[in-house]
Amino acid sequence: MTSIRKNKVFMGLLYILVFFLLSEWLRPVIELTETGHHRLFLAFVALGLVMAFFDIPWWITGPLKLFYILWFIVYVYTGNLFFTAESIRFVVEQASISLSALFSQDWQATTDVFRTVLFFALLWMAIYLIHYWVSFRLSIFLFYLLTVIFVAVLDTFSPYSGDAAIVRIMVIGLLLAGLLHLARWMERHGAAAKTDKLLVFSIPLLLLLVASTALAFYLPKADPIWPDPVPYITSYSGKGGVGEGGVGRIGYGVDDSQLGGSFVSDDATVFRAEVEEGQYWKVEVKDVYTTKGWELSEEDADEQLYRNGDEVTTDFPPAGEERSSALVDMQLPFPFVLYPYGTASFLMEETLDYRYDPVQQRFDTLQENTAFEPDVYEVFYSEPSYSLTALRETDTEQLSELPPEYDRYLQLPDELPERVGELAEEIAAGSDTVYGQAQAVERYFGTNGFEYSQSDIAIPAEDQDYVDQFLFETQRGYCDNFSTSMVVLLRSLDIPARWVKGFNEGEVIDTVDGYDVYEVTNNNAHSWVEAYMPGVGWMMFEPTIGFTGSSSIDFDLEIDASEPEEEEMPDRPEPEPEAQPEQPDGDAGTNASPTVGERFLAFVSEQAGKLIAATIVLLLLAFMLFKIRKKWMPKVLIPYYRRKVGDAETFEKAYLRLLKQLELYGIKRAPGQTLRSYAEYVDSFFGTKEMTKLTAAYEKSVYGGDAESVDWPKLKESWENLINRTSG
Amino acid sequence: MKATERLGKVIDNIEKVIIGKREIAELSLVALLSHGHVLLEDVPGVGKTMLVRALAKSVGADFKRIQFTPDLLPSDVVGVSIYNPKDMQFHFRPGPIMGNIVLADEINRTSPKTQSALLEAMEEASVTTDGVTMQIPKPFFVMATQNPIEYEGTYPLPEAQLDRFLLRVKMGYPTREEEIEVLTRSQSIPPIEELESVLTLEELLKLQEEVRTIRVDDTIRTYIVELATQTRRDPYVYLGVSPRGSIALMKAAQAYAMLKGRDYVTPDDIQYLAKFVFGHRIMLRSEARYDGITAEELTERIIAKTRVPVQRLVNQ
Repeated sequence: MTSIRKNKVFMGLLYILVFFLLSEWLRPVIELTETGHHRLFLAFVALGLVMAFFDIPWWITGPLKLFYILWFIVYVYTGNLFFTAESIRFVVEQASISLSALFSQDWQATTDVFRTVLFFALLWMAIYLIHYWVSFRLSIFLFYLLTVIFVAVLDTFSPYSGDAAIVRIMVIGLLLAGLLHLARWMERHGAAAKTDKLLVFSIPLLLLLVASTALAFYLPKADPIWPDPVPYITSYSGKGGVGEGGVGRIGYGVDDSQLGGSFVSDDATVFRAEVEEGQYWKVEVKDVYTTKGWELSEEDADEQLYRNGDEVTTDFPPAGEERSSALVDMQLPFPFVLYPYGTASFLMEETLDYRYDPVQQRFDTLQENTAFEPDVYEVFYSEPSYSLTALRETDTEQLSELPPEYDRYLQLPDELPERVGELAEEIAAGSDTVYGQAQAVERYFGTNGFEYSQSDIAIPAEDQDYVDQFLFETQRGYCDNFSTSMVVLLRSLDIPARWVKGFNEGEVIDTVDGYDVYEVTNNNAHSWVEAYMPGVGWMMFEPTIGFTGSSSIDFDLEIDASEPEEEEMPDRPEPEPEAQPEQPDGDAGTNASPTVGERFLAFVSEQAGKLIAATIVLLLLAFMLFKIRKKWMPKVLIPYYRRKVGDAETFEKAYLRLLKQLELYGIKRAPGQTLRSYAEYVDSFFGTKEMTKLTAAYEKSVYGGDAESVDWPKLKESWENLINRTSG
Repeated sequence: MKATERLGKVIDNIEKVIIGKREIAELSLVALLSHGHVLLEDVPGVGKTMLVRALAKSVGADFKRIQFTPDLLPSDVVGVSIYNPKDMQFHFRPGPIMGNIVLADEINRTSPKTQSALLEAMEEASVTTDGVTMQIPKPFFVMATQNPIEYEGTYPLPEAQLDRFLLRVKMGYPTREEEIEVLTRSQSIPPIEELESVLTLEELLKLQEEVRTIRVDDTIRTYIVELATQTRRDPYVYLGVSPRGSIALMKAAQAYAMLKGRDYVTPDDIQYLAKFVFGHRIMLRSEARYDGITAEELTERIIAKTRVPVQRLVNQ
């Protein structure tokens, strides 16, 4: 029989293809590590393959390759084309440095030359492996698959772009795999390996390859369905960047000009507060909406300087004379103090100034005009309360009479899509008071299918508006989405509003002297809304679903018994039907927020096509796996049972598994066949004695009820041996 | 010495005189160990008598032989009370049944009355004459033979009485080589005379006790019952295996397992013994006879299609 391996033309073709495949490995490595002399490395690969192809004995190829490596080093590092005394000295010197570094295990001290040698050794090994696969195994599939994975991974996670490489690999790899399959087939059937015959046989392969490549090229391709998972993965590896898109780490940040993107939680404690009641902690506000996020207007404002204990003036005056106090113990250094609504004064051991900027509304802490990061401070406050009567008199007419300093709280970008304003009108349609409109907007999110989530959050594209995207497309987001949207909606209704940053209550971790100790972590970083109610003042609103902070309302209404309307009840979880604005989707019948079940059903009906497709693919995959389980089961079973405790139960299970595997393998056991006669048959089939041995032990355990007699560790070897045979 | 080795010696001993009949020797021992009796069915001259005599000699048992003829009376089997004028009393003269190992030759030649006397004695292991019950010495083992060829002047045993036999075994002709060996041996002194006992009766009785301790797992019991049930359901069968048949199979399997050196019964034991235990307990319809199916073949079919229990029962 003339082996196909003797056909030099065919094998030569294979080696050429292998060379291209190997160079696909080399290319990204060289590109990513910024190694030069790509050609010289390729030449080494080519040299290795050529020598392997001609079956040159190792005692020639070895020194030749070594010589090449030496020459490469000399050429690249010393610039000499030939070995000169100087270059040889260089090589010797390098070798001694690297060797001594190696022996002293000082890996950092090894030189570039040494690394080059290592890289060559790796290439050498790769060439040998490939040579083995192609010439002896006549199978390249594993290498082919690894190449695809390698390039795909590099393309995904590194700057290397594998767009063209993957196509080349597919074509080369398929051709190679196809030819090798042909070779195996011819070998198995003892077909004469004539070149012309091989050519004839390869024609369908080539045609198919050309056709599939052409189809792949010219057919329209769908965009990826899933979002790019890489930012998410890299964020877990601790390399995620905050800010510019991608996944951020939750927490208090200064730059809000680019909102959007997912968050991963961060449990770092920011501060602990001893308070009577959970408070929202305000840090600052921002007033300029940029379609992508928030910035601070550059207007000058008269900064106020306060000292310890001074009564401060904010937009939220304390409710009365009685003061609550809160002790704040900062864990992270911030050059400002966090303050609750209705703050009256601060107290700290250190002597310092609190600088309050009415635009930013932040209390910076300064010690001799330099930023100071407070450790512990006490803040006195009295939470403001709002008269419902007054709130119900906030007439929208009054909005037009507001002084010009409120204009900046009405700022909206020109690019804001019109439908945002239209939506705001729609939401506000049912209410004629400013407060009613603000409340309608606040409640809007809870009842219209919006979803709170920190993961998988869209980032607006170049030409997209952050609010518009959230309101009309994604309807999925966290506090920034909700609060920003509310501010924009309110401003569309000419209600002055601004965006507030700070922290929510946190979690109670302890109780000291009747005070609750709240721990506030980076996860509690939050944003909400302040809106101006004409005649009443600034008021905070909490549009984010799932959060409960809100202004406290003084129910001073003299409710007329004949008046059934109680729309101003601030318990948002149960919105009154009357208070509801006409909803844009016309779904005015039910005002309760959709339940999880409903939302799930909605999701299913929306995504039905994809879900069905995914299910079919999964089923197919499962079916395929089931079909070829004979092949992979032993690989799973052996490690599984190897780890197991060596008792009779394990053995019995393993034995029954083996029976199943044997059945899959094709050695069927008739229903009336006893284990012993089956075992004898199996052993005669494989030429072993192991099945009989196992069966005797199994019979003793099951029929004899003698579980103690089972010595699984001893039987394991026989079992593994047999189960391995079944995968063949 | 272990039970299996001792029993192996008995079989080796028997093999010294009977050539190529190890299986029959084993089955006889199985019946002997499980208090059962064997019905040997075959043509004359294949060594039935020799087998039983060798067995009796090997275990040092008292061997009796009853040749059944049409004129044999029950009293010829069980014994008779004779008036002794000296002391003016009846004295019981035990019949040939009062032995340890009894060969009941050509049992189908005698009248049903005599047959039933024998079978009753086999079942009860005692005889009653003139109101006196006499225990038959233990161990008690009857090997009955019948000639399946001759029908003239025979009284075939009723099925209900066949049930009394633990096993029905067919002897069969020896192979060519075996028969040549038989001829060679028969030229010298009959070896049966030289046979010595390798097992005492006491040891045998002890082994009989020991057989009861052989473990029969629930799976095996289920399997036996399943097989028996299948015989009752088979369309060819007129009357299937009785529960007594199931018990017989279990007991025989216990003895067989002991013989094979195991202290538990395996499905292989059951499968091997089923045709010997069930063969004479199944009454076939005439359709089966037209189709040329014997009870043994039917048993094998049932074995082939009944699922062998390979897993421990879960809800034990």
